[in-house]
Amino acid sequence: MTSSGMLPLWRAAQVFRFASLLYAGAVQYRVNQYYAHRSLSWVVFALVLVWSGIAAVLYSTERRRRPIVIVEVVVTLVLMSSTLLVGPASYFQHHQVVPTSFWSTNAVVSVALLAGPWWGMASAAVVGLSALAICGQLTNISFDATLPILLAVGLALGYGSRVVRQAQERLEQAIRLEAATHERERLAREVHDTTLQVLAYVKRRGSEIGGATTELATLAGDQESALRRLLSRQAAGPLDTDGDLAAALQRALPADVTFSAPADPIRLPAATLSELVAAVSAALDNTARHAGPGARSFVLVEDLGGEVVVTVRDDGSGMPHGRLAEARAEGRLGVSSSIEGRLTALGGRAEVVTAPGEGTEWELTVPVKEGR
Amino acid sequence: MTTVMVVDDHPMWRDGVGRDLTEAGFEVVATADSVRSATERAAAVRPDVVLMDMHLPDGSGADATASVLQASPATRILVLSASSEREDVLEAVKAGASGYLVKSASAEELREAVTATADGQAIFTPGLAGLVLGEYRRMATAPADADNPAPTLTDRETDVLRFVAKGLSAKQIATRLGISHRTVENHVQASLRKLQLSNRVELARYAIEQGLD
Repeated sequence: MTSSGMLPLWRAAQVFRFASLLYAGAVQYRVNQYYAHRSLSWVVFALVLVWSGIAAVLYSTERRRRPIVIVEVVVTLVLMSSTLLVGPASYFQHHQVVPTSFWSTNAVVSVALLAGPWWGMASAAVVGLSALAICGQLTNISFDATLPILLAVGLALGYGSRVVRQAQERLEQAIRLEAATHERERLAREVHDTTLQVLAYVKRRGSEIGGATTELATLAGDQESALRRLLSRQAAGPLDTDGDLAAALQRALPADVTFSAPADPIRLPAATLSELVAAVSAALDNTARHAGPGARSFVLVEDLGGEVVVTVRDDGSGMPHGRLAEARAEGRLGVSSSIEGRLTALGGRAEVVTAPGEGTEWELTVPVKEGR
Repeated sequence: MTTVMVVDDHPMWRDGVGRDLTEAGFEVVATADSVRSATERAAAVRPDVVLMDMHLPDGSGADATASVLQASPATRILVLSASSEREDVLEAVKAGASGYLVKSASAEELREAVTATADGQAIFTPGLAGLVLGEYRRMATAPADADNPAPTLTDRETDVLRFVAKGLSAKQIATRLGISHRTVENHVQASLRKLQLSNRVELARYAIEQGLD
């Protein structure tokens, strides 16, 4: 059990213990002249002091607290019962249990902190009813204010400790999750930088040598793309959160796209990130369909401060001038509306430059907050 | 014959690249698997070109680049890296590496790059252009330093770097801008040199401030 989040509450409870001790001491000093056994009452009060010291020390450090709480409840009940010996019974009929008095609340506080509101209220009922029984006041239960107050203390502190404990658990869970994500990213990087390189090398060499090794090259190539797909699928999660545009694009793009970006991360909100990645993918898909065989694709990311520009270029066959406008006029929207629509929705713009034999170049511009 | 040293802690990769280079007519005079061994061997054999990996057990590729250049100043360094290591590559280039090639490059591209590096050219791949462009923009927005003003790109250099980063060849860029192929090369070299010079000034100043000089 790691409940370090509870420690401040336990320490605060020891401050309360000290305050209640002052009160009990003042009561003892004022009323011990009415007791039948005055010296015995001082002995009992000394025991109250001793136990307070022990409990304060034990509770204020991180340890298993259940046995201490159990001992505390028993000690408190025993000290309360000693009232009967200190006597005379007639005196206590209209008074609280002495010399413990208000101090007995500490047992309820401890139980509530340890075990939550239900146990807190149960211990309040035990302590409160015992006090009434010892003083012979059980018949007066409806006029007694102590029991409801003890119940409220048990409920409030128990509930508070439960909230703190849950918050602590959630925090720990979040930390564990973050560590797991980091580890996943590290593994992906590792695999990317080592295993994938070797597979790429085997594929390259194998097909250069030719003959029987071509088959090995194909196998290595299949494994390489399978591993890449696995890595990008595994890393797809972080698109739900804000992140680095270059990293997100690199994961999403096919391996044969030449990618350029600044070294520093460009952090964008999750929604902007996923829309931009989708727009770039659409432009690349278009290249694959129309640019002709052997066309290569290039993606450049630039951070201009107030704007982020992503350029998607291919060196394929290009399109005749006005072909996109024509398609739009004919109501065939397709790729250009998919790309332009996404960028407009982000408050940005998409411009395309193309000519026959000159390839196609999309320039996607998104406004961003400066000083991200 | 051009002499080459291959620095990589991955034996399979090191041997494979070494074999490729030997077949292509280069002389592989040494291999190394750490910053330390790379520095010692560079001092001993003074290779023309070093192929440098970014992850070494005892330091980064930038560390290795700096210390190899100190041991053998005439050596030229070509960084070979996975594409996800942008920050490391930028540091290595600022430390004096004269080119950057992704590890997935073909044997043909590797041969051409080593030849060009040995000739003293910068290997300006689109990835490197994007990094350098981004670094100039970052320096332009960083707080000004009166003693060592950040280097800036001319408009023409910016245009050239953007074209390179978008995958245009030097010839295509020359045609688009109406300048000579040679001028394109000069713009590219100048952008890299200014960056490395500024980095050296920065390092020297740091050394003096720390009393290391």
